[in-house]
Amino acid sequence: MILAMHMANELLNIPIAAVTILIAAGFVAIAAALARRSLTTERLPLMGVVGAFVFAAQMINFTLPGMPGTSGHLGGGVLLAIILGPWAAIVAMAAILVVQCLLFQDGGLLALGCNILNMGVVPCLTGWGLYRALLGPVSTARPWRQYLAAWAACILGVAGGAALVPFEAGFSGVLRVPTVSFLALMVGVHLIIGFVEGLITFVVVAYLRQVRPVSLGLAAADASGGRLSRGMVAASLLATAALLAAVVAWFASASPDGLEWCTTEHRWAGADRAVEEPSSAVAAVNAWQTRWSLMPDYSRRPAPLGEDPAAPASTTAAKASVVKPWGSLAGLLGTAVTLGIVWSAATLLRRRKTIRSS
Amino acid sequence: MHHSHLDRFAHEDSPVHRLDARAKLVAVVAYTVVAISFNRYAVTELAPLAVLPLAMLWFGGIPTRFALKRVLVLSPFILFVCLLSPWYDRVPREFAVGTWHVTLAGGWLTSVDIAAKFTLGVLALTALMSTTPFSLIIESARRFGAPRVLLMQLGFLYRYIFVLVDEAMRVRRARDFRGAALAPAGRRLTAVGGIIGNLFVRTLDRSERIHLAMTARGWTGTPPGLDLLRFRWTDAVFLIASAAYLVLCRWPGLWKG
Repeated sequence: MILAMHMANELLNIPIAAVTILIAAGFVAIAAALARRSLTTERLPLMGVVGAFVFAAQMINFTLPGMPGTSGHLGGGVLLAIILGPWAAIVAMAAILVVQCLLFQDGGLLALGCNILNMGVVPCLTGWGLYRALLGPVSTARPWRQYLAAWAACILGVAGGAALVPFEAGFSGVLRVPTVSFLALMVGVHLIIGFVEGLITFVVVAYLRQVRPVSLGLAAADASGGRLSRGMVAASLLATAALLAAVVAWFASASPDGLEWCTTEHRWAGADRAVEEPSSAVAAVNAWQTRWSLMPDYSRRPAPLGEDPAAPASTTAAKASVVKPWGSLAGLLGTAVTLGIVWSAATLLRRRKTIRSS
Repeated sequence: MHHSHLDRFAHEDSPVHRLDARAKLVAVVAYTVVAISFNRYAVTELAPLAVLPLAMLWFGGIPTRFALKRVLVLSPFILFVCLLSPWYDRVPREFAVGTWHVTLAGGWLTSVDIAAKFTLGVLALTALMSTTPFSLIIESARRFGAPRVLLMQLGFLYRYIFVLVDEAMRVRRARDFRGAALAPAGRRLTAVGGIIGNLFVRTLDRSERIHLAMTARGWTGTPPGLDLLRFRWTDAVFLIASAAYLVLCRWPGLWKG
């Protein structure tokens, strides 16, 4: 049910990747400095171990009622922000995302900046902000208010982070999918994900309130008020559903215009603007590449069906960016041959090693 | 338990494993930059890029099937984006391999391109991580000047993932054996909340114990590490060869020029 929405490298171009990595690095640096100030030294291992806790919590799945075969689990960012404060949570999420990228290959290396922004910085800051705004004074928070605040914070945090994905992909110019309809889809899906995430966070907060209220910043144990009663769950379920409906309604009213606009825009794109070169720099690089790639050696054989290799860059740009059939065939063949040689060399080496060792 | 298979090849021995972690890290980052710098319709030009990750996997003795399985496991989100693409970009574009010319909607080329770049990126990362222990990656990031706090978190995170995930899997198995699947949804939900909350409380306590243990062993705030990184001539050869290879992949015209 809850698919990873980690962005991959392929949805970004280099400038956007570089800018987002810089922004994310700035946020993590600030968060690390602020977190060190707020956490006492004996809690310094806490951020790292709490990151490991998020991985462990994701093992505990919850089969969703009414949707057989699907199950939800905790994403963790907003829960960490609620418990540790936004800054320690951002550092923990950054570490989690680095490990997910390197060890699980989930999310691209260059998309790490985007992922830290989408799944760390934005959920932690907006989620925590909404939570504190709804909660009022922390040490004397009423239970239902706290549960609702946690739930709403999850929905806002998850959907808010997901809303950045289409913009990052859109500015990169890699996708031709219109940003607005991509946005509608991402936010729609992540409202549901945030709903489930909020549900689980709600229950975790309820448990913590009962067992260790200090970890939530409460003044003292509040055994009577902390228990989850069926009525309270039902009431907060209704309230969150109303909140969600309001958000969805707002979005739905905004979205059809957007979709309509997209389709007309798309038709225009089909008819008139056959190819838009993203920028003059890219066009220059393309032209340079075309000039250099059409070397005599690659195009010596006359291409029977292909176009003139010496065609100027303007006409090639009208049809397709770079068409160099023989060059691409040579590239494919060369790759296959190289891979064959590398593979047989590696196998031979390995076999010799095992023979020698046995 | 599946988590123990995460970096199960990282501690083996091969020519690729013996390369310096910094050299491999730099090569893979540069590789990723080159891979995404290609135009979104440049499908065939990506082919030579398959050589580096596959060579690292083969010389490192990593089963290719293992790496390809990782690509498959991670593909759903990217597949979804790929399927959206032809819907919106229907401008016909010519695509040619040898004498074989096809006119395709640009969106199809984009989807193939995105899928190919995704596969290459995951293969390269898998090749890096299954030939390099994670502690060496952290150490090389420290040499490159990454902030100390973040690296410390990464170290703790890596160390305790296995411990806590083991714990979580034991609890989950206990829950499932008690017939949790048959319980009504509300009961199942509170069970999940209780388990996760309990794991969290245990995590808090554990981190305090860890800190006590570290202080008792004379921890001063800087992680002590063995100096395991050696930059040898083979690493220089590897770096120069990868650089030349990447430049040739990006600008194939330089081959004769």
